[in-house]
Amino acid sequence: MHIKHHPVLGKKLQNPVTIYFNDQPYTAYEQQTVAAALMANDIKRLGSSRNLVQPRGLFCTRGRCCSCYATVNGENHVRTCMTRVEDGMKIYPNDEDPEVRGESCGD
Amino acid sequence: MKAVETDVLIIGAGPAGLAAAFETASRGLDVTVIDESLSLGGQLIQQTQNLSSLPSDLSPMRGFELAAHLIKQIEEYDIRYLLGHRVIGFYQDGTIGITDEVDVFPVKTKKMIVATGAAENAVAFPKWTLPGVLTIGAAQTLINRDFVKPGNDAVIVGSSDFAMDVALQLSEVGVQVKGIVEKSTGVLSRNTEKVKQVNKIGIPIYVDSSIVEARGMGAVEEIVIKQEDRVFTEKADLVCIDGGRSPILDIFYQLGTSFGFQKELGGWVPQYNKDFQTDCKDVFLAGNAAGVSTQGALVLTGRLAGMNVCEALGAVSKETAAVEKKGLWKELEIVETKYNLDIWHARNRHVDNFTHPVLKDQFIS
Ligand SMILES: Cc1cc2nc3c(=O)[nH]c(=O)nc-3n(C[C@H](O)[C@H](O)[C@H](O)COP(=O)(O)OP(=O)(O)OC[C@H]3O[C@@H](n4cnc5c(N)ncnc54)[C@H](O)[C@@H]3O)c2cc1C
Ligand code: FES
Repeated sequence: MHIKHHPVLGKKLQNPVTIYFNDQPYTAYEQQTVAAALMANDIKRLGSSRNLVQPRGLFCTRGRCCSCYATVNGENHVRTCMTRVEDGMKIYPNDEDPEVRGESCGD
Repeated sequence: MKAVETDVLIIGAGPAGLAAAFETASRGLDVTVIDESLSLGGQLIQQTQNLSSLPSDLSPMRGFELAAHLIKQIEEYDIRYLLGHRVIGFYQDGTIGITDEVDVFPVKTKKMIVATGAAENAVAFPKWTLPGVLTIGAAQTLINRDFVKPGNDAVIVGSSDFAMDVALQLSEVGVQVKGIVEKSTGVLSRNTEKVKQVNKIGIPIYVDSSIVEARGMGAVEEIVIKQEDRVFTEKADLVCIDGGRSPILDIFYQLGTSFGFQKELGGWVPQYNKDFQTDCKDVFLAGNAAGVSTQGALVLTGRLAGMNVCEALGAVSKETAAVEKKGLWKELEIVETKYNLDIWHARNRHVDNFTHPVLKDQFIS
């Protein structure tokens, strides 16, 4: 849930944007990180572990644990806790190994 | 972006880094501040509680207000800010490699102040990796920075001062805190006032207790608690882990500084002398990176590191620096002993050990 009236900080959420998770639209607010905005919409599972296929989601909110990886606007393995939402952003869960740049990309 | 050359590179824009920026920029040095997050203030941004034990020139205020104050103080100086930039390594000639997550750029600096803060420690139990299990700092960040309520029913694992603060803050935004689970035989928080408030709003504190496991399909739904011989289950869609904090050491590993272990300072800490200088002579440090302490003390360590860099670069005379440093150490003693005498003693032991580092040129993990 978004906190519309914060008991100490007041009304801070001003500019709504729409983001897409698995092609479904959700409301987020400018300034929020992707992982936080998804959590506000009750989306907590952002991916799964490769070996034992366990669900993964936000853990540290500060870019250190890498548990919040997702695919954002086509880019794999984005730390969604360190990335702010943008209107129209397309997010998919991190369920597979990323496509590593191959010879065709020159490296 | 082009390559940067600067007098002082400050890594980390929390209270320590911002205080160091003021000391150095106000004495005419060319200062660059880099932080991987997108705003200044470090971990102060989500701290809504009132801060006790600040230096004598600061009136009592909340964490985010201290950030605003420190930011305002440096507004008039021409500081170069690299927000959303991360230090990722060092070239052989000492040039620093930074990235904006797309490209890598070199930065050349005369002196460096590392104020990268501390990271929260995890407490593992079966299924602790389920979504909805967060660090307690993450829960605080969600409610106070992102304005997101991370769940309806919460259980907190650990009972430090920080746990008490966040328990109260979670309750204020309408999260029902079902309980605080502490493995020791008593509450760890030294702030009896806060503990009283927590009791008053009816949050049970289970001491001598532990988590048996978390359960849930795709996210945490319930948590099993063991208190002595009793095992019971609470419905919880949010579990907050309060496992304490340890200095962030990545940059020090890469620089090859030596380390010493001080439990009271958060574990392994880069070795430094009374000038907050590491054994890489151009590298200074401040804040929680120099040992986990309280906000007032962190500001003072930032000022001390800044003052020493000013002296090293000739921006203040030796005489002025000596007077200022003496005053700052005195104040650090007052603030730190008031908060926690053990931390002050550990810091002094650590500084005394500077010439006898425990670990040199090794990777601690
Ligand atoms: C989530 C969280 C919540 C906290 N809440 C409380 C609280 O309620 N009460 C309390 O007493 N203490 C709290 N703390 C402790 C907090 O660490 C201190 O209060 C204080 O903010 C530390 O100040 P600092 O200047 O040492 O570091 P920070 O404020 O942590 O600042 C360090 C900065 O360095 C940046 N950084 C780190 N590595 C790099 C790199 N390689 N490149 C670029 N930038 C980098 C980080 O992005 C960060 O902004 C919290 C800590 C955390 C992690
Ligand atoms: S939640 Fe830890 S890196 Fe994003």
